[in-house]
Amino acid sequence: MVRFLEYLLIAGYIAVLLVVSHWIGQFAYSWMPPEATAEAQKIDSLFSFLVSIGIFIILGLVGMMVYSVIFFRASKNDYSEGHPSRGDLKLEFLWTATPTLLVLWLAFQGFNIYQQLNILGLGQIVHLHMPLESEPAYAVSTDNQPKAAAETIYVYVKQWDWSFRYPNNVTSHELHLPVNRRTRLNLHAKDVLHSFYVPAFRLQQYIVPGRDIDLVVTPIRIGKYTLKDALFSGTYFALMDTDVYVESLGQYNQWLTKAEEEPTPIKNQAVVEYSQPPKTFFKSNWYTIAPTQPLIANERKVMNDT
Amino acid sequence: MNRGVIHVDESPIPLEQCRRYLPNWLKRFLPIRGGRAEDHHGKGMFGFTVFLLSESIVFLSFIFTYIALRLTHSRTWLPPGVSGPELSTFVIINTVVLLSSSFVIQPAENFLKRGRLVKFRWLWLMTICMGTYFLIGQGIEWSHLDFRLSTGLVGSTFYVLTGFHGLHVLTGVILQIIMLIRSLIPGNYNKGHFGASATTLFWHFVDIVWVFLFSLLYLWQA
Amino acid sequence: MTHDSRDNITGDRAAEDSQNESENNWRRYFSFSTDHKVIGVQYMVMTFIFFLVGGLLAMLMRAELITPASDVVDRPLYNGLFTLHGTIMIFLWIIPFNAGISNYLVPLMLGARDMAFPLLNAISFWILPPSGILLLSSFLLPNGTAQSGWWSYPPISLQIPPGQPINGEFIWIVSVILIGISSIMGAVNFVTTIFWMRAPGMTFFRMPVFVWSVLSAQLLQLVNLPSLTGALILLLFDLSFGTQFFKPLENGDPIIYQHLFWFYSHPAVYIMALPAFGIFAEVLPAFSHNPLFGYRSLAIASLGIAVVSIFVWVHHMFTSATPNWMRILFMVTSMLVAVPTGVKAFGWTATIWKSKLHLETPMLFAMGGAAMFLLGGVTGVMLAAVPFDIHVHNTYFIVGHFHYIVFNTITMAIFAAIYFWFPKITGRMYAEGWGKVHFWLTFIGANLTFFPMLPLGLQGMVRRVSSYDPRYQGWNVIASVGGFLLGVSILPFIANMVGSWLSGPRATNNPWRATGLEWTTTSPPPRDNFEEIPIVKRPPYDYGDPKYSVIEPPDYHQLEH
Repeated sequence: MVRFLEYLLIAGYIAVLLVVSHWIGQFAYSWMPPEATAEAQKIDSLFSFLVSIGIFIILGLVGMMVYSVIFFRASKNDYSEGHPSRGDLKLEFLWTATPTLLVLWLAFQGFNIYQQLNILGLGQIVHLHMPLESEPAYAVSTDNQPKAAAETIYVYVKQWDWSFRYPNNVTSHELHLPVNRRTRLNLHAKDVLHSFYVPAFRLQQYIVPGRDIDLVVTPIRIGKYTLKDALFSGTYFALMDTDVYVESLGQYNQWLTKAEEEPTPIKNQAVVEYSQPPKTFFKSNWYTIAPTQPLIANERKVMNDT
Repeated sequence: MNRGVIHVDESPIPLEQCRRYLPNWLKRFLPIRGGRAEDHHGKGMFGFTVFLLSESIVFLSFIFTYIALRLTHSRTWLPPGVSGPELSTFVIINTVVLLSSSFVIQPAENFLKRGRLVKFRWLWLMTICMGTYFLIGQGIEWSHLDFRLSTGLVGSTFYVLTGFHGLHVLTGVILQIIMLIRSLIPGNYNKGHFGASATTLFWHFVDIVWVFLFSLLYLWQA
Repeated sequence: MTHDSRDNITGDRAAEDSQNESENNWRRYFSFSTDHKVIGVQYMVMTFIFFLVGGLLAMLMRAELITPASDVVDRPLYNGLFTLHGTIMIFLWIIPFNAGISNYLVPLMLGARDMAFPLLNAISFWILPPSGILLLSSFLLPNGTAQSGWWSYPPISLQIPPGQPINGEFIWIVSVILIGISSIMGAVNFVTTIFWMRAPGMTFFRMPVFVWSVLSAQLLQLVNLPSLTGALILLLFDLSFGTQFFKPLENGDPIIYQHLFWFYSHPAVYIMALPAFGIFAEVLPAFSHNPLFGYRSLAIASLGIAVVSIFVWVHHMFTSATPNWMRILFMVTSMLVAVPTGVKAFGWTATIWKSKLHLETPMLFAMGGAAMFLLGGVTGVMLAAVPFDIHVHNTYFIVGHFHYIVFNTITMAIFAAIYFWFPKITGRMYAEGWGKVHFWLTFIGANLTFFPMLPLGLQGMVRRVSSYDPRYQGWNVIASVGGFLLGVSILPFIANMVGSWLSGPRATNNPWRATGLEWTTTSPPPRDNFEEIPIVKRPPYDYGDPKYSVIEPPDYHQLEH
């Protein structure tokens, strides 16, 4: 009878945990930045799922620990033993097999979502771009090919700014993308490793100097987002945030035409800070590379940054 | 032993019984039922072997770098005008000398185990000479190459790989010289000959690494 | 029997002996001694000092991050701070502290008189103080310390001030290589000791789980640390001798460095964590007076974690231009490493279930650490999923995750170990009340500091920045307050340790009524550890009814033993 009650209590405990973890999992969507691409929606649902499972495990085990602390305290001088059980093969097998199946299932879910990202174009294609090489070293297999992109924007990153060259050869420090259209970003780094990171897109990719890396992205939500360099790239790398504007196709084309005529002002914060360092409590005066400023923000010349 | 008593939580695999099926030389490395702290030679050789296995992974990391760079940069591997390391007769003789020195040092150690000190010392001295010959030969080869350490990837990899190996050859020769001098001290082997055994094993290790390096650097032509 | 009545021998003779010893004690700890107990204490005290230095650097970083603007330190200095903070905490605090406590305990737990190679042991230790001082001295260079993070990725780490061959990066590489040499020597010593120096009757499955953890961690050091040594040697050549291994604009490949680096540095986190798990496995049974639940599973899981962790390193490189098949493969292996880790967590929980709990300081730290480990581990499993990792890679989510492991789990375990074995090592009891104060300040501080980093990372705050978008300020302020609280929390600990060591009440052989061979000898143990080498006949964690830990045939007592 007592055993039956125990099993009932355990079942009840698990049921409560399931409800609570599912409930908290729903909150997880609000912990993320706005979903600006279709890929972001899929990643957020994966995240919510992972949060639910995580909360289940954490609350389950911590609950047991708290219960033990409350109900199994021995009095100060009581040094008798608890219960003599040294193990239970069935239970140990269960708690080895179940997590194995669970993590393999999680890996499978992750794989599924990763495949969908690939089809949508989030997967990157890496070409080794050596001057004397004519073939890419990594074979570009057919299932790596994203669907064809409407157009290509060339992204150039260096210490410490981003610049973008648009199809009409306009160069800018802001990234403008048309909504609901596939755009290929062709990434180039000039000096050290950088990382192209837009939190709202859930997209991140290291950029290796000397390599030609392609990403295809389909933003679905109009708005202004931030592009950051997520890989430490030197003294002023924290100042590499730049704006990403996702706008309707009409507005995008309008901006392109306007940018051709009027250059957008340069906002290179690294150069500003280098020439006028802010007052800090401790000053080390250690060496830093001088950030270079491009002469004109929007030029029609071809950038030879490979 | 306590055959009548079974302790719960004993090994799920009968390790002691499995050990009986191992070959002798491996069995000596794996005491199971309680250690054998009094066997200083065995303990020392176990530790030294473990160290050498670990050291070989440093070489493996260099070799991995070499292979990865070479495979992905096959066209730009040799800068213009550079022909890279040459499989010349000189190099082949050097290699033969080094590799056969393993077959000199092993009998030397065997003589020592049987107490034949004079024979041990002669063969040991011969090994020292062969090792020194290799080092000098390597230096001569280096001075005649048409590329430097900073000459592209071929320079970087070749000199670091052969240099690191050469450092180990030098260490081996120095160890052998020390062991030779110590063998002249009376009563040196009263507590065993761990030093000589370890030096011999180290020498074999150096030679095996050279087999790999030789194949990767000289036999693998672009 | 492990619950012995020799506790009462702390009569006059033992007190006199330890009094004589204490006269020479403090001098021994500054000398070149080959006694593993002295070396163990030397490691533990030295690494604790580096912990304080690393903590000070962290306080400076948290002070900078209270405000969005860069106003406390200039940017190169901030970059030097986080670089040295990480390097010191990993290579001069956790890994060598683990070496120290393993050094102290392993021979005692095995019933040996010392480690396999006592002289090598001493040399391993004495390499560390000069290497650490060398590393710190780079603050005095005209252009400062290494500033590229503890990973030191090329090509950024190769951007040195022109015309300065001895620069911060050079010193960083040399000191980490030296520390690595010390670790390899130690690893050879530990593995040989565990194989060759066990007392008669001490089979592998009678060793405490702590020893299994040390064995697993040190085997990992042997297999994986040489890869870091190789990477650093090649980096040094690129930095100072004109080679081009990792220079992408000169035909080199920086991704190769990442592979070599992470091939060690992922197992490094298990090298740090496994002894901490071993500590939980010792402390929890002692204070719950239950046998460790599933001893064999936990022992084998230690080796299992070590083996699987060799094959997961690319999960640090998911965004790094790695091909698809590599990402998927390493997602699967990284998920699988959670299984043996989970087995351990379940075992700990089952050990305290239906037990007789005593909540002294070591137990508080062990349980707090085990509970916080659950959050650290779960966030780790989340990170194994490639699509999610791509979003949070290099953000504060990662920083929060790994600090939940290295501070909230491992450092908590270290404190648990220090309090637990303090009576054994020093022969005196610490002050329990102050221990509890230390625990609560640390527990609250640890959660306040590192929990906010998780939402910050989800919202896209990148790591290693000294200035940030003002919308991240709220969580940053909480984290900084927590950080300062942690700084304050260490003070009662230091006072307790120093005061109790100097004049705390004398401890008995076995103040916790725990099992384990170290508790059968005096506190502190004599120079040769045991008056007589014990012959081991019983399994470990021998709490509970003997009938359940030993099965005797009916006529056993009529046989001679």
